[in-house]
Amino acid sequence: MSHEQTSLAFRENTVRALEDTALRAAMKQAADTFGTKRADAFAPVADLEALRDRASAIREDVLANLPMYVDRFVASATRAGATIHRAKDASAAREIIAKILSERGAKRIVKGKSMVSEEVDLNSHLEAAGMEVVETDLGEYIIQMEGESPSHIIVPAIHKNRRQVGRLFADRLGVPYTEDPQALTKIARKALREKFLSADAGVSGANFAVADTGSLVLVTNEGNGRMVTSVPPLHVAILSIEKMLPSLTDLPAFLRLLPRSATGQTMTSYVSVITGPRKAGDATGAKELHIVLLDNGRTEILAGESRDILKCIRCGACMNVCPVYRTVGGHAYGWTYPGPMGIVLTTLLTGMEKSHPLVDASTLCGACVEVCPVRVPLTDLILGLRQRKVRDRFSNPRERLGMEAFGKAAASPGLFVLGQRLAGAFWPVVRALGGKDVAGRMPAPAKTPFRRRLP
Amino acid sequence: MSGADRERLFLKNAAIAAAGTHSVSDPRDLPATLGRVVASDLPVYCPGVTELEKAAAALFPVRVDDYAAATVTVEEVFGAVAETGTIVCVSAGGRAVQAGLLPAHHVAIVRRERIFDTLDDLFAAVSGSPPTNITLVTGPSRTADIELTLAIGVHGPERLDIIVA
Repeated sequence: MSHEQTSLAFRENTVRALEDTALRAAMKQAADTFGTKRADAFAPVADLEALRDRASAIREDVLANLPMYVDRFVASATRAGATIHRAKDASAAREIIAKILSERGAKRIVKGKSMVSEEVDLNSHLEAAGMEVVETDLGEYIIQMEGESPSHIIVPAIHKNRRQVGRLFADRLGVPYTEDPQALTKIARKALREKFLSADAGVSGANFAVADTGSLVLVTNEGNGRMVTSVPPLHVAILSIEKMLPSLTDLPAFLRLLPRSATGQTMTSYVSVITGPRKAGDATGAKELHIVLLDNGRTEILAGESRDILKCIRCGACMNVCPVYRTVGGHAYGWTYPGPMGIVLTTLLTGMEKSHPLVDASTLCGACVEVCPVRVPLTDLILGLRQRKVRDRFSNPRERLGMEAFGKAAASPGLFVLGQRLAGAFWPVVRALGGKDVAGRMPAPAKTPFRRRLP
Repeated sequence: MSGADRERLFLKNAAIAAAGTHSVSDPRDLPATLGRVVASDLPVYCPGVTELEKAAAALFPVRVDDYAAATVTVEEVFGAVAETGTIVCVSAGGRAVQAGLLPAHHVAIVRRERIFDTLDDLFAAVSGSPPTNITLVTGPSRTADIELTLAIGVHGPERLDIIVA
């Protein structure tokens, strides 16, 4: 199903989220669990800061030379037998994938977890073309059944509790109600195993693309990623251009950081490095591999002041520690990517006019910067976007007026004193105008200004 | 790192990742260990290609040629990584990497001289011209998608046993 962007209604979304007691309980539990597990996983890493520096430097090099690395990847992957498609935007990506699948008569599609496929809203497009699209990551399977979108980039159904999942499975799969996660997992295993074995094609994302070898790297836990990429005869992978790494020898640094940052694991159950389709003499791999490289505004971001967001490796650590995300959950942000990295990406990818309330959804406390494994300067980026919001006149007109007046007054002592007097005299009016906004809740100015009280 | 230290570290980390760990110092002990590990998980899929696999296959009269129909896959794998307790499966030599994925139980035999110290050592060895598929396996299939509660055996094996030989 298609999900309309609701980022402009961020405030209304947060009010709804705050009233949802099940959501609040789920988010509280998640926040506590994530914090402990991540800390435990990093504890034995002796040279963590050096490791972050190294990963950050690799990502910076990739961004500084992105067109070169993309070209190199395209050449290597082509040499390995893959077919590469370049998609300028979301609609191009959808068209390309639908065409690949329909030309080969693929009707039953199994999907691995891919945020880029969410970004381009792939499923609704394929379904409209008459295909059955089944999400096979357990979390994605749950929310697809519920008709929702992911509320976390790593744990898509983090907003749901076990009782909600139990009722959903009982209703939709006709199984006896259980709220035991292990039993629910077994139910999904059984239902999805048939889908894997009968699928015409698998669609996956990728965590990294390796320029030197043309390899795709998938970091997963459940095994569905391995199924999707190796069991059906056709594999279509969609990834955004900034996921490049220069060489396979760069991968270990990221394998040490990504699982620890994402789920607090030393290593995920599976890491697959896929280089081309099945070749002569092989008994592994899809017979045909198509790789769709999505730009969707990233070349433009790369040329701008917010380019550092493209260093992001999608671990989700920034949202796990964000006081705003932890309170309201991911759906409130109203698009594909939530939390601090989501604020920046959503604003850049969908435009300030569709997302400007998000840039205020941060306390700038810096917890996200502290945990980011590749040192994305998230608070600087959010601050930069706030400045752009004001520059592009998307800020609240009353707030802008007030700030402009304050700016003039602060630059002139005479005006400042006058302003203090006027503010004092007209405070009841200001308060009334302010209503429920911040101005309406501010304390009244002191009768005697502070500097006149100084001897 | 000495060979003994490397093996110890590998087995320790693999156990932390919830793999069953076994070590045989004499190849003649392999059948007894395999018999115990596989127990009643039949039918068995075993590629029977390497010397160790040939020895293993001879132990199990109830075998299938289709790994999708097997309860357990017994195979020798490419190598292992001590740093993370990981086994490494590759497609080179016509091996079906997914044979270790579909059955509920995966028994991986790894030769002790094939244990790499670190991920760096592994990728330095395969970065030149990698085979179609390299899969790093660390513990059984798992998820925490429901209330971040660990559940084992989602789409891949619910049991992983590693035998160092």
